[in-house]
Amino acid sequence: MSQRAEDELKQKIRKGYILESPEEMTPGYRKAIIVQLTVQADTELMSAPAYWLAARHAPSTNTQVSAHAIIQDELAHANIAYRLLEDMGVSKEHLVYGREPNEFKHPYGFDQPLDNWAELVVANGFFDRAGICLLGDVHRNTSYGPLKRALIKVDMEETFHLRHGEVWMRRLARAGGAATELLQRCVDWMFPMTIEWFGLPDDLKRHSGQLDYKLKGLTNDELRQLWMSSTVPLCESLGLSVPAHYDAAAEEYVLDYPFPCEYDPEEKRWLFEDGEISWSAVFERWKGRGPMNERYVESVRRSRGAVSSWLN
Amino acid sequence: MSSERGGLAESVYEVFARKTRGEPLRHIGYIDAPGDELARVYAWKTYDEENWFEMCVVPRGAVIPVNRADGPWAANRPGGKEGGR
Repeated sequence: MSQRAEDELKQKIRKGYILESPEEMTPGYRKAIIVQLTVQADTELMSAPAYWLAARHAPSTNTQVSAHAIIQDELAHANIAYRLLEDMGVSKEHLVYGREPNEFKHPYGFDQPLDNWAELVVANGFFDRAGICLLGDVHRNTSYGPLKRALIKVDMEETFHLRHGEVWMRRLARAGGAATELLQRCVDWMFPMTIEWFGLPDDLKRHSGQLDYKLKGLTNDELRQLWMSSTVPLCESLGLSVPAHYDAAAEEYVLDYPFPCEYDPEEKRWLFEDGEISWSAVFERWKGRGPMNERYVESVRRSRGAVSSWLN
Repeated sequence: MSSERGGLAESVYEVFARKTRGEPLRHIGYIDAPGDELARVYAWKTYDEENWFEMCVVPRGAVIPVNRADGPWAANRPGGKEGGR
């Protein structure tokens, strides 16, 4: 299809047009939404094994049940996004089972081990909040009707995950002593991890169709600010230190560390002292994937075929 | 459209539900399942964000579009693309 068709569709979308079927998509639109949905689905899917391994450290049966409810939600969200892709002719079977682990499109944060209950609840407080920022924006702005409707359920449940994270962060912060120290250590590596998740700053961002086709409404930097505008006050109210502050003159949140910078996944530590690195170095690290990538992918694939063998 | 997953043919089911008495039944989503019984289970477990007053599933192949020739049900149009997804 021609550039004219692409421009016409963008024009219609700017006036509020909502697409209801894949047949209405131009090749450019189709490509952009496939990338967006693949990232969304892979992220939901990979959060499940990350949370599942961490849920073993739940302090009680009740709390473990809450953690498992969150995992079940994440799997449902992944399934919903893969199903939308299937309607566009993309094979869910291939996406889940046919790719190499390093070909999944989830953020680097979900390649990291969550080693204790504090890390799980900070993941709920930070990563799920990032999910709400990103998907809430998609929900408000997307020009694809089926996705807009699918996100009603997703947003509702992600809010529950966030509440779970916040309630537990508050509890650990109040506990004092070792619990609070552990919480601070989580914040130290997971805060910059989430900041990086939002991707290239706007001044470096190559032009993408996602805004033109109204697949989302906010830019990377706007989303990063949105995330900080709730995360920074939360952490400050809990007496936790975060490497960012509000600059009243500039009316925005400002990072107090070189961004982007290098990460040591073994030590779970950001190398602030080594200074700023290039975004191509960040992409290189993302492409190499993190320590849990293969294990997480293997974990979601493990029981393949089991259901059919039980039914036969 | 049905597809093989681990030796199991699955097809698409549309999920409809209403929250309360008096509310219209609305389309809330879809699931893939190898048969009607599992479709009921998957729908109930997947769309558990509300305490639904009523939920039902419909095989995608059973929805017959009336006025449109595109979208997920287009293949079921009498005389349309080869029917029955």
